[in-house]
Amino acid sequence: MRLTRTACRTGVFIETLSSPGTAMVPANGDTAGPSSSQDDPAATMKKRNRPQYHPFTQQQLPACKPILAPQTVIPVLLFVGIVFILIGLGCIAASNRVVEVVYQYETSCIPGYMLDNKVAYIQNPSIDKTCTRILKVPKDMKQPIYIYYQLDKFYQNHRRYVKSRNDKQLINPKETNNTQYCKPEATEHGSPVVPCGLVAWSLFNDTYSFARGNKALRVHKRGISWRSEREHIFGKQVFPRNFQKGALIGGGALDPRIPLSKQEDLIVWMRTAALPTFRKLYGRIQVDLRAGELITVTMQNNYNTYSFGGKKALVLSTAGVLGGKNSFLGRGYVIVGLACLLLALLLTMLCLVFPLKEEHLALRYPLPRPAR
Amino acid sequence: MKRFVYINDDSCRYSYCDNRISNTKYSLWNFLPKNLWEQFRRFMNQYFLLIACLQLWSRITPVSPATTWGPLIIIFIVSASKEAWDDYNRYLSDKKANERKIWLVKDGIHRQIKAQEIHVGDVVWLHENDEIPCDLVLIGTSDPQGICYVETAALDGETDLKTRIIPTISANLSVEQLGKVKGVVECPNPDNDIRRFDANMRLFLPIIDNEKCPLTINNTLLQSCYLRYTEWACGVAVYTGNETKSGMSRGAAEPKLTAADAIIDKLTIAIFMFQIVVVLVLGYFGNAWKYTQGLKQWYLMYPVEGEAPWYDFSIIPLRFELLCSIMIPISIKVTLDLAKGVYAKFIDWDEQMFDWETNTPAHSANTAISEDLGHVEYILSDKTGTLTENKMILKRCCISGTLYGNDNGDALNDVRLVNAISSNDPDVIKFLLVMALCNTVVPIKSNDDTVSYKAQSQDEEALVNAAANLNMMLISKDSSTAEICFNGSKFRYELLDILEFTSDRKRMSVVVKEGQTGKILLLSKGADEALLPLACPGQQIQKYLEAVEMYSQLGLRTLCLGWHDLKESEYKEWSKNFQEASCSLDNREFKIAEVCHSLERDLHILGFTAIEDCLQDGVPETIKLLRNAGINVWMLTGDKQNTAIQIGLLCNLITSEPNSQLLSISGKTEEDILRSLERALLIMKNTSETKDLAFVLDGWALEVILKHSKESFTRLAMLSKTAICCRMTPLQKAQLVAILKSAGYLTLAIGDGGNDVRMIQEANIGVGISGREGLQAARAADYSIGKFKFLKRLILIHGRYSYNRTAFISQYSFYKSLLICFIQILFAFLSGLSGTSLFNSISLMAYNVFYTSLPVMTIIFDKDISETTVMQYPQILLHSQAGRLLNPTTFCGWFGCSLYHALVIFFITICAYSDEKSEMQELSMVALSGCIWLQAFVVTMDTNSFTYPQILLIWGNFVAFYMINLILSAIPSLQLYTIMFHLCSQPSYWISMALTVAVGMGPVVAFRYFKNLYQPSAINILQQIEQSNGSIQTSGNLESARANLLNLLTGSRKNRDSYYHPLLSDSAESARTD
Repeated sequence: MRLTRTACRTGVFIETLSSPGTAMVPANGDTAGPSSSQDDPAATMKKRNRPQYHPFTQQQLPACKPILAPQTVIPVLLFVGIVFILIGLGCIAASNRVVEVVYQYETSCIPGYMLDNKVAYIQNPSIDKTCTRILKVPKDMKQPIYIYYQLDKFYQNHRRYVKSRNDKQLINPKETNNTQYCKPEATEHGSPVVPCGLVAWSLFNDTYSFARGNKALRVHKRGISWRSEREHIFGKQVFPRNFQKGALIGGGALDPRIPLSKQEDLIVWMRTAALPTFRKLYGRIQVDLRAGELITVTMQNNYNTYSFGGKKALVLSTAGVLGGKNSFLGRGYVIVGLACLLLALLLTMLCLVFPLKEEHLALRYPLPRPAR
Repeated sequence: MKRFVYINDDSCRYSYCDNRISNTKYSLWNFLPKNLWEQFRRFMNQYFLLIACLQLWSRITPVSPATTWGPLIIIFIVSASKEAWDDYNRYLSDKKANERKIWLVKDGIHRQIKAQEIHVGDVVWLHENDEIPCDLVLIGTSDPQGICYVETAALDGETDLKTRIIPTISANLSVEQLGKVKGVVECPNPDNDIRRFDANMRLFLPIIDNEKCPLTINNTLLQSCYLRYTEWACGVAVYTGNETKSGMSRGAAEPKLTAADAIIDKLTIAIFMFQIVVVLVLGYFGNAWKYTQGLKQWYLMYPVEGEAPWYDFSIIPLRFELLCSIMIPISIKVTLDLAKGVYAKFIDWDEQMFDWETNTPAHSANTAISEDLGHVEYILSDKTGTLTENKMILKRCCISGTLYGNDNGDALNDVRLVNAISSNDPDVIKFLLVMALCNTVVPIKSNDDTVSYKAQSQDEEALVNAAANLNMMLISKDSSTAEICFNGSKFRYELLDILEFTSDRKRMSVVVKEGQTGKILLLSKGADEALLPLACPGQQIQKYLEAVEMYSQLGLRTLCLGWHDLKESEYKEWSKNFQEASCSLDNREFKIAEVCHSLERDLHILGFTAIEDCLQDGVPETIKLLRNAGINVWMLTGDKQNTAIQIGLLCNLITSEPNSQLLSISGKTEEDILRSLERALLIMKNTSETKDLAFVLDGWALEVILKHSKESFTRLAMLSKTAICCRMTPLQKAQLVAILKSAGYLTLAIGDGGNDVRMIQEANIGVGISGREGLQAARAADYSIGKFKFLKRLILIHGRYSYNRTAFISQYSFYKSLLICFIQILFAFLSGLSGTSLFNSISLMAYNVFYTSLPVMTIIFDKDISETTVMQYPQILLHSQAGRLLNPTTFCGWFGCSLYHALVIFFITICAYSDEKSEMQELSMVALSGCIWLQAFVVTMDTNSFTYPQILLIWGNFVAFYMINLILSAIPSLQLYTIMFHLCSQPSYWISMALTVAVGMGPVVAFRYFKNLYQPSAINILQQIEQSNGSIQTSGNLESARANLLNLLTGSRKNRDSYYHPLLSDSAESARTD
């Protein structure tokens, strides 16, 4: 290649480019190219007209042409199959190591006489909604143990909901009056609500406290949100104003003396979930728990999921390599791996039963063509 | 109807436009509206404008309006600025032309003015090498004979010099008189016919008497030509500005739409329909969800019944409409335009299509239709200059019954002829005299006293050159005299009249007066059938007919030469008639022909010349290859039947195999012709597959057929793989193209001369050979090549690859848009059918503009099978010809693939990122990454050959995706803030990606594998043959397979007509059915 290229630059055409099977030389070489440059205008004319040779412009770049042949496909399948099964088993193991306690309480925390009228129960502020339960730890749980609340059928991803917030107001104290997009939770008697919008307004407000025996387990609430959110999304100088002061109370209230950047429950809540079933971090327990230990949970069942028949659950979970307990990836990998192995086997068998010889190929060449 | 131009008279000058030329399409103030109007004539643009407008309504827009407005505005700005730039350049060149300084003569005073200030009636003074600013009637030149030379290349592409003569009436004007001359020119209204100017001129007293003088095109200097070899010339402006002949013949060509474009448009409309259905369904269920579920979701705070606006029901469907608008990829037009630009560049760059003899590279003037080259079904080719060299050499001749040049094939070196000349054989001498004088050749004397000839017709040049070689040399020639040097002594001839060649008359004559004897002679030359009937009775015609027959068999072009003595009185009388006819304003051509005919009679036939026009290099191979590729090749020529058939035989167009037949459609009367057509049609229908039939017909037969039986002919045309049409006029060539086009075939017309321009413009693809007959055809054409043999490369390599690539690019564009759209739709089911967009605005915009548009470009460099293989198995062209790679079926495949991939991405994403990880921005980024990963593998999968730019683009794009998102993740004001950092640090993210790819691509690979091995397409097989290094090509099996293939290919060619039976080769010998 190099030789030809330099040759072309000096204006002498050499008949050497033999990229596989293609003759680069024009069939009629008798004009001898620009080398016979006795008259200058003609020579420059030739230089101007003639396309510069470059493998790119001639579409002659060296190329690799892989083809789906048994001898490449079967080994690749085997390799992929084995690797996937191994990764899958690893994932399953990682997932199994995570200990998870899920306690669903939206029905069990309602006194029996109110079961027929759950919405009335939850909307009546005068009823004490404390609910105490004892959970048994199934396996040893290493700290940190994460406390999540899980909601179901709650559409944080609903268009009306997800847009109903103003990020400028959240970070910038000067933008307090900016309640764009926040309707219908934008202003209260003419003055802006901070933080405005449906997302903040519907803040989850169930609370949990834990005790092992008689000794309370401390729930660490700091650091449950991302640092980046605390620093760049929620302002240190932005304080709640007019929050939950309207006729309709949505969810939890906020302490107006604490800036938004420290309202970590709000921060977590406002990172909207993508799916109607979701868990959000409530806090951490920085103590190891033994298998068989009994944990007393005291819950304030304040949040209304009853209007739309959603479930609520409390989740205690240890941390795993791949996050929480989720065997999906592991199973997926194992299934794909097995499928690959099976396919490899099938292909091998097919190759053995119907060997593809070259004659075979040739005979098949003239394929009948369907009508246009 | 008529225009009266008063020379040097100010009274009428303002009734016509001034000489300001304007080629611009837009002006400053109408650019925006006009350009927008043009752009919005496309359905796609209208659609996107509608979407963009809807997006301005914030209640329904799922993402920021910038996602549509951004790309839309970019696309508009790009095409508008391209238009503006072109127009600005046109404006600049116009301005330059308009402000050029021109000398004007007014009342004897020379003044310099700007070209745009010339008015009709002004006398313009031109100097040597000046460009002519407007259409002028020549009234004076520096040449004492009153001639001047012009180069008309800019007008008609012909590079030879043309002679222009001043009208007789102004011949005697002195230079002073020219400045003051008054008169009137009576000419037709402006038209675009550059070969015709039927006008009269009268000069006013006191200069000359009041005589009417006829004007022809030979008395004009047309705009944009150049004055050459003439010191000065002056003329009266008759047409100015945009009313000149060149101005009138300009016109923007209609943009051509390729077959692939048409399918893409259809698919777009289909997708649009699908989109409407999806929107309606989702909208219905969305409203249903809202009223059953949504009102219970207290945190959504739906307004109470009755407070909602009346249009409330339409909100959710409209939201879905906007969400689904990305189904139709906004980038497809830009991507395809870019790709087509690259195809065109590849053609321009192709060194193997560079003609070394004339130093012309191939050029694609129309960048938009490369993929149609891969669809060509009919090639209609000119003969002379296209299949042949158009380098004429006199090879044989027959003078008064003696055949010269029969022994060695070269008459010029035939000893008998040389002897005959030296012994002053009167017939031979007269023969040479006709060769040397009866023409319109201009001898040009160079410094070293050698004479070279400039001729408009290659035949004439050949004859003059041959005469010169045989010692009869034409030395000089002006409008009235010619000088001939024979055996060292000079003879003068007065040229009295030229009876010009027209395609109707098929002959030309000159009337000359011998300088010494004063004898007046009529010298004629022309086609045999035009001249032989005029022969004086009693001559031995039979011998000549045999000679002509023999010459035609050899593929030589014959011309008959004759002469005739004229008496002085006879000539005088005729001359008066001729003058009269030349002056007539209407029907002049016909009247002149009549008058000429009255003189051209009782000719003494001298003999025949036979000129060889050898085949171009590589023509038979090319035609064979193209026919193997399933392309029907027709030859349309102005030449006579026998020559055409011989050339057809020589270049593989027809073969003389025993089981082939050439059907001749001819007859003496109209009924005969029609009957012969019906018979041909019957034979065609009933012929078995192994027989190869072709038909041959001439111009007259075609005329009759088109008048009476167009339908039968169309049917015949569809059945016939090969046809030879001779004696075609340019219009008839175009008509034949139109017939095939109207039958739904994709036609390619190839030609080299001005007579092919109409057919080139009419055909789907016009290819011009930049040959000896000037560049006229090449300029009108979409592609210009140096030699016919490059056509095979143009079609089989460039056309085929372009089609393959466009097929992929367009379908892939839909695939990727559908993919992301399906994910949005699936997400709708998990977001309460409220029309939430899973992806944020930036991701959506970047997905279309960056992430997916780069890898698809890799396919521009892809080759499914190598060029060598394509040339070896040209039948593979059928794949693109029949649109195998881009049709509703293949599109369904892509559609299904994108649906499957969307399901895979979506379910893996929501399962892997459930519960505590189910965070909107993260989940959306996981899904987006899934799309990017999968589409990179899809492109990889569909790439057949990997070169480094491809690998760079595919995987570089991958890296770019992560880079861009990591950068975006560092900007706090974006929704993406920190998301990518989080994801990249999670092992589960990478594990999910690998799973997505495995599940998404696994079935695709398996499907491909099985198809490759057990149901291979011809392309797959050729790929495998290539892979196995050609070892298979030697096997005998393949030979039979190939033969078999050919049959099948031809067999399945066209199933449009139920009674179609394929035809194979044919023979000329067995022909002549009547």
